[in-house]
Amino acid sequence: MIEVRDLVKRYGSTVAVDGLSFQVRPGQVTGFLGPNGAGKSTTMRVVLGLDAPTSGEALIGGRRYAATRRPLHQVGALLDASAVHPGRSAYDHLLALARTNGIGPRRVAALVELVGLAGVARKRAGTFSLGMKQRLGIAAALLGDPAVLMLDEPVNGLDPEGVRWIRELMRSLAAEGRTVLLSSHLMSEMALTADHLVIIGRGRLIADGPLRDLVPDGGSLEDAYLRLTAGSVEHGAGR
Amino acid sequence: MIASLSAEWLKIRSVRSTYVVLAVVALAVVIGALFVWQGMAVFDGLPPERRENFRVIPMEEYMLPMVQLALGVLGVLAITSEYAHGTVRSSLVAVPARGTLLAAKAAAVAAVALAAGQAAVFATFLVTRALVGDRPIPDHGAPVAQQAPQLLLLGLSVAVFAMVGLAFGVATRSTAGAIVSVVALLFVIPAGITYLPAPWGTRLSAVMLPNLPDQIAGALGWRSEEVVVGPWARVPVLSPVWAAVALAAYIVVPLAAAAVLFRRRDA
Ligand SMILES: Nc1ncnc2c1ncn2[C@@H]1O[C@H](COP(=O)(O)OP(=O)(O)OP(=O)(O)O)[C@@H](O)[C@H]1O
Ligand SMILES: [Mg+2]
Repeated sequence: MIEVRDLVKRYGSTVAVDGLSFQVRPGQVTGFLGPNGAGKSTTMRVVLGLDAPTSGEALIGGRRYAATRRPLHQVGALLDASAVHPGRSAYDHLLALARTNGIGPRRVAALVELVGLAGVARKRAGTFSLGMKQRLGIAAALLGDPAVLMLDEPVNGLDPEGVRWIRELMRSLAAEGRTVLLSSHLMSEMALTADHLVIIGRGRLIADGPLRDLVPDGGSLEDAYLRLTAGSVEHGAGR
Repeated sequence: MIASLSAEWLKIRSVRSTYVVLAVVALAVVIGALFVWQGMAVFDGLPPERRENFRVIPMEEYMLPMVQLALGVLGVLAITSEYAHGTVRSSLVAVPARGTLLAAKAAAVAAVALAAGQAAVFATFLVTRALVGDRPIPDHGAPVAQQAPQLLLLGLSVAVFAMVGLAFGVATRSTAGAIVSVVALLFVIPAGITYLPAPWGTRLSAVMLPNLPDQIAGALGWRSEEVVVGPWARVPVLSPVWAAVALAAYIVVPLAAAAVLFRRRDA
């Protein structure tokens, strides 16, 4: 379970997260939605102890992430798929992360296989396409077989086979009782993947509820989302 | 800590830049040898009465800044490449204890730098001694066993530069900024203090990092009487103990400051 309580995060004069509270429960896929700049990635960084909250707190399983030893066994995260050293092989990238948490090379090889990178694992990650990097990032998130998963836009750049694979993977992980938090801007995909939605805008909570409660019968998630966030779009296209 | 250390070790040896740095170190040894080889050809062509005044700078001293700079860059890259590519976040997700992550990085970098520094210094010493042979060149007479403490200190100074580079990398989070800082510490400041009124040039020269190993080595240390400032200044102002204290400060102070910044700042 992920708990965010009264979270505020400021960067200078920018208020990225503004008094946000919500919980992410196990056993379901929770979609994390909001316009560009709404504060989704910032919230995830604070949950992972990368950025310090200005006030409030974020806990995973009742504890601060930073206080966890060998955290990859409890939490898996994908923040930015392009965050790889371009000169390091995919296998070495994963193995370095694995070693920090006492995870062996066999698990690394199994994950490389699972995400479909077995043929290119020894190639430099700089040569990978966006979709291949996403797969690498997902492999990293799954290294420790964690009970909590937090993925920031994991579907970006994946081919249709990869999109379906992620969807089924997320659903099966949630069905095993894991906590899954997933951000995405692809509403049709989110409608197929998520059970529960947390929608934020300008750093504040807009909606928090089961997908079927937020989307009226016969309506689309896209319509419901656009209606809910209409007043919170900061970076809309000129019209 | 062991787990983090083995991960950092893997990170260092799985990128090309490490091998470029080591190639530069090997090149420094080769260049040093070529200088001496050339010098010996000149020496052999001199009439005996002029041979007396013939001097050769010990190449393990002369080429040292090149090695120090190379490993300083290795220290810089160990952290700035993580900032540049965004991997510092995945590293911190895997190891949230920031002190542990930084310590593991420092240990891995120090191990590589110490090995490279000692290898370069001893290889240069041995190769140039072989080239000098039994010619009566001043500063080239002591056997390796006698000179070893001083040589070990020179090699150690390479690791100190790597630690300073790592600390600058943490502080600036920028490859260019940190490398400029290392160059400033190695060349610019030691040369710049030339323009200070006497005796401040000499006094400050004494606490410049490149000048410390030979002051710690005391009587075994090389003296460059003509050069009083710059990266090759070897002015014996400090006692060995105080020089050792200063060298330790170059390790502890930057790394401690880096640790404070690394813990405090958002990643
Ligand atoms: N390190 C930072 N320094 C300064 N401002 C930041 C920083 N990180 C985020 N912000 C600001 O905080 C706000 C929220 O950004 P964030 O990346 O969390 O949004 P997001 O919901 O993930 O957006 P997107 O959907 O585009 O990924 C934005 O205004 C952004 O400019
Ligand atoms: Mg984002």
